[in-house]
Amino acid sequence: MNKVLATPATTTTAEARLSGVFLGAMRSEWTKLSTVRSTMWALSITVVSTVGFGVLLTAIAVSQWDHRSIAEISGFDPLLYSYAGLNVAQLCIGVLGVLVMTSEYANGVIRLTFGATPQRRLLLGAKVLTFSLVVAVVSLISCVTVFFICQAILADRHAGVSITDPGVLRAVLGGAVHLVLVGAIAVGVGAIVRHTAGAVAILFGVLLIVPGLVQLLPAPWNDDITRYLPNSAGAAMSAVVRFPNLLTPPGGFLVLAAYAFATLALASFLLVRRDA
Amino acid sequence: MIEARNLSKRYGTTLAVDDLSFGVEAGQVTGFLGPNGSGKSTTMRMIVALDAPTSGTVTVGGRPYGSLRFPLHEVGALLDANAAHPGRRARNHLNWLADSNRIPRKRVDEVLAIVGLAEAAHRRAGELSLGMGQRLGIAAALLGDPPVLILDEPINGLDPEGILWVRHLLRSLADEGRTVLVSSHLMSEMALTADHLVIIGRGRLLSSGRVADFIERSAGHHVKVMTPDADPLAALLRDKGATVVVDAPQELSVQGLESRDVGILAAGAGLTLYELSTQRASLEDAFMQLTREHAEYRGTTEHAEAST
Repeated sequence: MNKVLATPATTTTAEARLSGVFLGAMRSEWTKLSTVRSTMWALSITVVSTVGFGVLLTAIAVSQWDHRSIAEISGFDPLLYSYAGLNVAQLCIGVLGVLVMTSEYANGVIRLTFGATPQRRLLLGAKVLTFSLVVAVVSLISCVTVFFICQAILADRHAGVSITDPGVLRAVLGGAVHLVLVGAIAVGVGAIVRHTAGAVAILFGVLLIVPGLVQLLPAPWNDDITRYLPNSAGAAMSAVVRFPNLLTPPGGFLVLAAYAFATLALASFLLVRRDA
Repeated sequence: MIEARNLSKRYGTTLAVDDLSFGVEAGQVTGFLGPNGSGKSTTMRMIVALDAPTSGTVTVGGRPYGSLRFPLHEVGALLDANAAHPGRRARNHLNWLADSNRIPRKRVDEVLAIVGLAEAAHRRAGELSLGMGQRLGIAAALLGDPPVLILDEPINGLDPEGILWVRHLLRSLADEGRTVLVSSHLMSEMALTADHLVIIGRGRLLSSGRVADFIERSAGHHVKVMTPDADPLAALLRDKGATVVVDAPQELSVQGLESRDVGILAAGAGLTLYELSTQRASLEDAFMQLTREHAEYRGTTEHAEAST
């Protein structure tokens, strides 16, 4: 048999800098994301549901206005219906984020990943950052698109707002940040639970079931707790009008970011401690 | 190049690896042998820092694997041949690995050619046969052109041609001066492939040394003699210090003398021989011998044999 390979490498890579390791891991994670079909499906559904539901619900709301009082209409948040689709979109992003970790555990790829990058904390960081950048791009496209379409519909009834109006740009960006943070939380939950079904159940439970249960508590506990749940904290970021049962936009951001930080801190702790 | 010192791994109440110490040298193929469930895979996972030892240390090239940056340039490992996203194409599977360790993409084409998957590079990993999956795993191990290779059961699922190919590959890798550690539960395969053996059972080191020495030491060899003059020859050989067993009326089994000596002694005494041959123990015999000495492994061994 002919010589298989060149002579063994003599140069050591031990001196490679950690920043290089991090960038390598990010490139690798991007290659992983862009070479499976589920990514494109989940991201397409994210765009379609954000834009689709936003436009649909805005159009329905506008068609009902002939039966509403001026007072009802004037209290209307011009972005409320536009960003109704974010509730569906966050589930798509959530599943995709969970899969970033759990699919690797399911098919054994995690051992190759850790073998290639034994610096596990750094690896988790690279996974979260890469995924967050992808989510950020997709969310921004979705949120900006749905904003302009919905405002065009509202403008017909002289109820639209401009992107330059106070709080509007912040709300548009807030919708995108909401999805990015839910995605980061999902990656963390995936790393903690390591099984797709379990991680998705926990994530959906927190996003969908818990708010319903909390509403059953006696007032004022129900509203006091609800505003600190991830869902409401996220919704607060994309609101222009101040709702009494929601936090302020910066408050919503801080609460959701705290959830993401706590989840990822636990994930990083467990990732280093546990055998792969 | 690989150095394990007092390595132990406990899962709950079971001790999967028990105070294991061994070294793996460069330039030869080292067979890592043991029945199924004897702790081979656990040990290999500890070498590449996937599992943390309960106690003890293991280093590759003098450094713990976990401290390596871009480790694919230093160690190539095949631990689980099925480890691939079934929907990802074979080339992309290698691409993401290459990207993580800053290995140029052209190297991906090289390793695909080496393992004979150039034609199948566009196929999804889930569509590959067991043997092709195994080749993809080997390609991943070769990606960083590493001086150390660790392969867990690399011939699983390969057809005879594939087995021959792996055997030649391991040989040429070792001849290039690389360190090659390859595990198997098939003694016969290791007899053909390995220069050196590390044998474990129930997580403990049973034997470590050259393949030839291992066979010699464990089972030894004997000289088979066919002769019409069995009784006088047996008496003569016993005088010279040999152990002689009469297997059949005209057949002797001699230990303690080489066939050359038996022939010279017989000729000197004018005794007729029909057949004179050295019977070497196979690695299988040697392994059975070794595990018999550790009686508690026998059940596990028989199970391993039955399941292959």
